[in-house]
Amino acid sequence: MSGFLDNLLNGLAVGSVYALIALGFVTIFKASGVLNFAHGSLLLLGGYLVAVLHDDLGFAGALAVAVLVTAAVAGLLDRLVLQRTGGSDPHAAHVQTIVTIGVDIVLVTDLARRIGGDLLPLGDPWGDAVTDLGPVTVADSRVAAILVSAAAIGGAFALFRFTSWGLSLRAAAEDAEAAALMGVRLNRVRTAAWCLAGGLAALAAVFLVAFPAPGLERTTGQIALKAFPAAILGGMASPVGALVGSMLIGLTEAFVAGYQSDLHVLGEGFGDVAPYAVMVLVLLVRPAGLFAAKGTARV
Amino acid sequence: MTAAPAAPPALDVRGVTVRFAGLLALDDVSFTVAPGTVHAVIGPNGAGKSTCFNVLSGLYRPTAGTVRLGAAELTRLAPHRIAALGVARTFQNIVTTRGTVADNLMLGRHALSRAGFAATALRLPSAVREQRAHLARAREIAELTGLGAHFDTPVALLPYGDRKRVELARALCLEPRVLLLDEPVAGMNAAERTRTTEVVREIRAELGLSVVLVEHDMGLVMRLADDVTVLDFGRAVAHGTPDEVRRDPEVLRAYLGTGTGTGTAKEGAA
Amino acid sequence: MSDPRSVLRRRAALLPPVLLLCALPFYLDAFWLRIGLFSMAAAVGAVGLGLLSGTAGQLSLGHAFFLAVGAYGYVWLAGEPGPGLPPAVAAVLAVLLAGAAGGLFSPVAGRVKGIYLGVATLALVFLGHHVLLTADSVTGGFNGRSVPPLEVGGFAFADSGPELTVLGVPFGAEERLWYLGLALFALTWFTARGLLRGRPGRALAALSDSETAASVMGVHVARYRSAAFVVSSMYAGLAGVLLALSFRRVVPDYFSLALSVDYLAMIVIGGLGSVAGASAGAVFVTALPLLMTRYADQLPLVATPGSGGGAIGPTEASRYLYGAAIVVILLRAPDGLHGLARRAGARLRRRRRATGPPGTGAAPIPAAGTDPTDPTDPAARAKEHTP
Repeated sequence: MSGFLDNLLNGLAVGSVYALIALGFVTIFKASGVLNFAHGSLLLLGGYLVAVLHDDLGFAGALAVAVLVTAAVAGLLDRLVLQRTGGSDPHAAHVQTIVTIGVDIVLVTDLARRIGGDLLPLGDPWGDAVTDLGPVTVADSRVAAILVSAAAIGGAFALFRFTSWGLSLRAAAEDAEAAALMGVRLNRVRTAAWCLAGGLAALAAVFLVAFPAPGLERTTGQIALKAFPAAILGGMASPVGALVGSMLIGLTEAFVAGYQSDLHVLGEGFGDVAPYAVMVLVLLVRPAGLFAAKGTARV
Repeated sequence: MTAAPAAPPALDVRGVTVRFAGLLALDDVSFTVAPGTVHAVIGPNGAGKSTCFNVLSGLYRPTAGTVRLGAAELTRLAPHRIAALGVARTFQNIVTTRGTVADNLMLGRHALSRAGFAATALRLPSAVREQRAHLARAREIAELTGLGAHFDTPVALLPYGDRKRVELARALCLEPRVLLLDEPVAGMNAAERTRTTEVVREIRAELGLSVVLVEHDMGLVMRLADDVTVLDFGRAVAHGTPDEVRRDPEVLRAYLGTGTGTGTAKEGAA
Repeated sequence: MSDPRSVLRRRAALLPPVLLLCALPFYLDAFWLRIGLFSMAAAVGAVGLGLLSGTAGQLSLGHAFFLAVGAYGYVWLAGEPGPGLPPAVAAVLAVLLAGAAGGLFSPVAGRVKGIYLGVATLALVFLGHHVLLTADSVTGGFNGRSVPPLEVGGFAFADSGPELTVLGVPFGAEERLWYLGLALFALTWFTARGLLRGRPGRALAALSDSETAASVMGVHVARYRSAAFVVSSMYAGLAGVLLALSFRRVVPDYFSLALSVDYLAMIVIGGLGSVAGASAGAVFVTALPLLMTRYADQLPLVATPGSGGGAIGPTEASRYLYGAAIVVILLRAPDGLHGLARRAGARLRRRRRATGPPGTGAAPIPAAGTDPTDPTDPAARAKEHTP
């Protein structure tokens, strides 16, 4: 039984970190129609900044700087590169999606070169401490992941719901043309969305590499790709869907890893790829994701 | 490969209802397009004309009702199956695809040709022959629609009126038995309108097909149509010949009452 | 469908490059031949991805998986452990196997559209990599397997077998494989261009521009999407076989997400939707790191491999370059290298036309089925090169 609870808590913790990533991914998609394949490298950038700055600024300071810088980089990427690509092409968002792949290559190459083969500690305050919660023992880093993610996600949802930016974002996602006619400054709305997503990614990096993960490595950005299935499962344009998808992915991963010995036919380390298997299975049944709005094609 | 099919079967629309998220776009609409006639569907903006076309071409599935072409029930078929039955359409906003006029017209020949991936990749004689024959027919249709000189011009480089005609030619390339024209002269200048009207008149005479026409230009409707169905708020409020419909009080109310389309109504009456 | 003279002229125009490619093994050493060989293999794969992502508009990041199916399929089918089939049969079956793998994914590939498919196909790469690591008995696990040489009628495309000297040049594995690569690339060129200019290519291009227009014109959208995926997988499988033969060893880590991204870079840099562009992009992306490695000591800012310490090695340098190339190309010239070449040609022609007699510009021009590399043919250009 405690095994089950362990897996459940692990799954929720991992899922909430994926949710930070997936929420950013979905926000970007809603605001700009772009699938941001550079999301993993933004996350790696955030993690890298915390790793190199925490000695001088302390963990909290480093995290704050990392979140702000990553948010700024994401915003600039959108403003200076993506918004200038594709022009009036009706498929502009698709072209921009491919541009993010190019950006990802450059960013990942550069960060991987700096990180090299090292494992960089982020100097987080939780270390490898654990807490007993009744029958289960849980790493403090996991608890922190759940709490901080919940706070950040709550904050993001509050932004969606209660600010004029959130209203503009929803209006723009609904009908960009109409929103523009009503005075919504689409460029600003989408740049802000990219900034928010960048900040969330940097935050996620901290928990992705915290205990029990060994530290930041050059491939950490790839771990972030597991949030993509979460976003797809949620139907891409739905923040709530992204949350549910993330939890589903996190729990799948945790339970597959937890019952590894019973699932040995699937091979060692199947937990790492299980999210993708889940994604394929869901897409087979519902090609538009679990939470896709049932829209009618406009002709 | 000249297509002169026997008289096309009647297109019978019965009780078609389309509901989007509680909004009634079409409400129990019925009309019959008699073989070989031009049937206009008119009405103010938002009356459901394009929705009606989307049902006829299989893009929307109606909540209720049937559409029959002869013995075939269309509402259960995917768009490509309906195309294969000889129902072709144009769009209100131009929807051409990349490449030249020839490429677009050859897309229209898709349902009539067979060459698959393997035969085309290996350039088997059958595939080469087929392509050559269809290209010749596409060129004929380009001539018929006045696009002959632009056959090898990229569509993106053509002026608006010509692109609109590319859509018409592409639809004709399907050798349709029923042709659905969604505002074929919208946005055209007077000369282009006259030309397109002539083309429609000609193809109808030469190819003997049925035409369903959605159009705001009352002049065009009055000149071309044999029958008219008037839609308002998703309901068919009047049927009849152009003359009957023009005098129908319901129609006048629909047009004048909403304020839209007064200009075109006057133009039609003039 | 174009007149015989222009066909003849086009064929004649192909002759010099073909002769040049055939003559190269007599003049180049193994290093350059290997670059050429990898480039040709990559070009075969890139052309396949170009059909899917460039023409049909279906983004795929799963190409590495199908390369792996082709490579490992060949190794297993021709090798021990494995059925030990004649290598030529194994090669053909490996290509079919890759196509079948694409077919298995078609319920997703047929229904998931455009850029979303890019995310869905991530699954293929990661799941595939996992299988390659886990299914030891077939794949050899982490260390991979060595590749049995291809033999056709007693002739081995390897250093083994009877020695062969042509015109005083000893023909080793590289020289022999060069001609194999050339033949397979020619086959790819021939078939892919046939597809693009024929009924299937038009249908794929149309459905990527407007699914609605394609479907009301009679294109079975889901079936064509699936078919594009299968065909693209088969080209990838063929490329995988050729890569396996060239590397002589297959290892799982080669077939990573980075490889898929490389192929995407090839078709974007070359210009989406064109066979020649995909081939040019393949050469660029493949040759760049190899050349940089070779000449690292002569390049500014680039450290020799293994000098470590966060220096920019040749591999990194080339990745910076083509990552940036993707961004710059899409910012400035969305039709890639091929589009740049085309526009340069058009500018030249305009200048020439301006000095020629009036009216020549409107001369009738052959339509579909003409050669897109023929600079006098705007019809074919527009058809193949519009992204």
